[in-house]
Amino acid sequence: MSDVAPKAPVTEDPLVEATLLEGRYSNDQIGQSLLRPVLGPPGWGWWALVGVCSALVVLLVVAICVTLFVGVGTWGNNIPVAWAFGIINFVWWIGIGHAGTLISAILLLFGEKWRSSVNRMAEAMTLFAVACAGLFPLLHLGRPWKFYYLVPYPSSLRMWPQFRSPLTWDIVAILTYLTVSTLFWYMGLLPDLATARDTAKETWKRRAWGLLSLGWRGSARHWRNWRTGYLLMAGLATPLVVSVHTIVSFDFAVAQLPGWHTTIFPPYFVAGAIFSGLAMVMTLLLPARRVLRLHHVITEAHLDVLARLLLVAGLFVAYGYIQEHFFGWYGGDPYEMHAMSILRTGPYAPAFWTVFTCNVLVPQLFWSRRLRTSPAVLWGAALLVNVGMWLERFVIVVSPLSEDFLPSSWRHYAPTWVDLSLLSGTVGLFGLGFLLFLKLLPPVPISEVKQLQDELESSERFAREVVAEARAPGGGA
Amino acid sequence: MSRWLLGEFRTSQQLLEAARGLRARGFTRMDALTPFPVEGIDEVLSLPPSRLPLLGLVAGVGGAGGAYLVQWFTQAVDWPLDVGGRPLHSGPAFIPIVFESAVLSAAGALFLGVLVACGLPRVTHPFFDLEDFRSASIDGFWLAVTVVDDAGRDAADAALRALGAAQVSLVDEARR
Repeated sequence: MSDVAPKAPVTEDPLVEATLLEGRYSNDQIGQSLLRPVLGPPGWGWWALVGVCSALVVLLVVAICVTLFVGVGTWGNNIPVAWAFGIINFVWWIGIGHAGTLISAILLLFGEKWRSSVNRMAEAMTLFAVACAGLFPLLHLGRPWKFYYLVPYPSSLRMWPQFRSPLTWDIVAILTYLTVSTLFWYMGLLPDLATARDTAKETWKRRAWGLLSLGWRGSARHWRNWRTGYLLMAGLATPLVVSVHTIVSFDFAVAQLPGWHTTIFPPYFVAGAIFSGLAMVMTLLLPARRVLRLHHVITEAHLDVLARLLLVAGLFVAYGYIQEHFFGWYGGDPYEMHAMSILRTGPYAPAFWTVFTCNVLVPQLFWSRRLRTSPAVLWGAALLVNVGMWLERFVIVVSPLSEDFLPSSWRHYAPTWVDLSLLSGTVGLFGLGFLLFLKLLPPVPISEVKQLQDELESSERFAREVVAEARAPGGGA
Repeated sequence: MSRWLLGEFRTSQQLLEAARGLRARGFTRMDALTPFPVEGIDEVLSLPPSRLPLLGLVAGVGGAGGAYLVQWFTQAVDWPLDVGGRPLHSGPAFIPIVFESAVLSAAGALFLGVLVACGLPRVTHPFFDLEDFRSASIDGFWLAVTVVDDAGRDAADAALRALGAAQVSLVDEARR
């Protein structure tokens, strides 16, 4: 079972069904193989990674304490660059989260079978990414303990939040996104928590999973309501992804700053979010597939289709870049033209050209089928895209702010150690969350893989019956 | 106090055939307990259509309307703040929060609705007393027939065995 040799089952014709499951297993074997990382003791690699991530989390705590006790003045941003790492990291993390919802919700609506093997990990990634994202606006408030001022509650001040400002839209969008993705994820987990409960040998594990699974019995009534509810929630989560990142882009597009005030931003941001999220899915999925030996459910067909999606999203992003610069020039506004030209030639030009290389040129590798199914190439490309998308947000935020209307107030930006610690700290927090998820919860939806196999088997049985009928004397045409 | 007769089958196909067989023999109060949703079992058990879509719609519309009202009341009525002469009751600016609130309340209602419709959480269902029932989430396909009297129990037992059940057990809520 554990030594499933991965072959190269990628089909020539994209219309021919690809191998979504290597080999056939009993339902018990599927459950055992997918629960092995959860039921067994963790390996040394897991502990080593947990150590690294915990160290980064300590750094995060230190940086947060400095921010709270000394103030946001310890960050590098100041007038005119009033927004920097706080917003860059926020947009980067929230964008990463979006691919998780894309993979789980949109593909569920489209009935894409390949989603089953990867959606759980992608959704978990979403949760931790959104949690990291939420930290930054909170800390950027300066007095995070007063965040509830953004919520409309009847206070003795007799003031209300300003709902005509995109910043209040933001908090509603983020809280909605975090809540809905958590509910969607937990609902998907219920049947697998029941499987974990029934597979575990130790009583305390059975009790813990029994409580978490809420007493799921797999009754036909359960399944019927669960499927309806799950599908409807997917239908809600799909426009939610688009709306959340649109609202994030409004933070910029509604301002009148050259380089921000443009209608291309909402679609361009959504494409960038999905692009960066796909890259992060691959960054996590490829090592997990190898270490947890999930080659039988995450086949080369999955890598192939993920790489294709990355390429398509990359082309959308490239189109956004081209349009942004074209409109800067075509509009003829000197401030807008300046904002675009300093991107290409100004102090942040190295960052801009790195963005161009990572986000436009690197995905072009995946026109080649051989590269699409090579885990090493995919992983390297995914890392580059992660870097490229972070730098993209950096140039979007910092470059127009540092040189706006009045040359006398131009000032360039450099991050401080607190900024850098917050960024790397959230990487550690994200990694720690994902590692704990891999250890505590089934990383691949077990019931969906069983159902997939059942469907594959019944379609094979049907095909055999048709062939047998055609061959039988007097049968078939 | 309910009593059920539980029969375990090996494959989803056997389960479907057995459920059809039991129906043909006049058993109507049945439930199937399976590790994954079995296509076609809903029709055999003639389950009513789920009312969750309506719940989602009502909650979504309610959330949207509530969000619009809150924004209108706070911006245009209770605390009118003139920002450069822009309209106080500015509908388009309210759209993002209206949409997000619609999604939030619909998704929340659906989540709770699924739990209520499934009768969850219920971690101590009598079925869990049966040790072998653990396979219902692994690789066993179970049929539960509700029985009222001893004659019904014997008939269901015979029917389940005749339809190929690998094992048949009685679960009695009164005897816990």
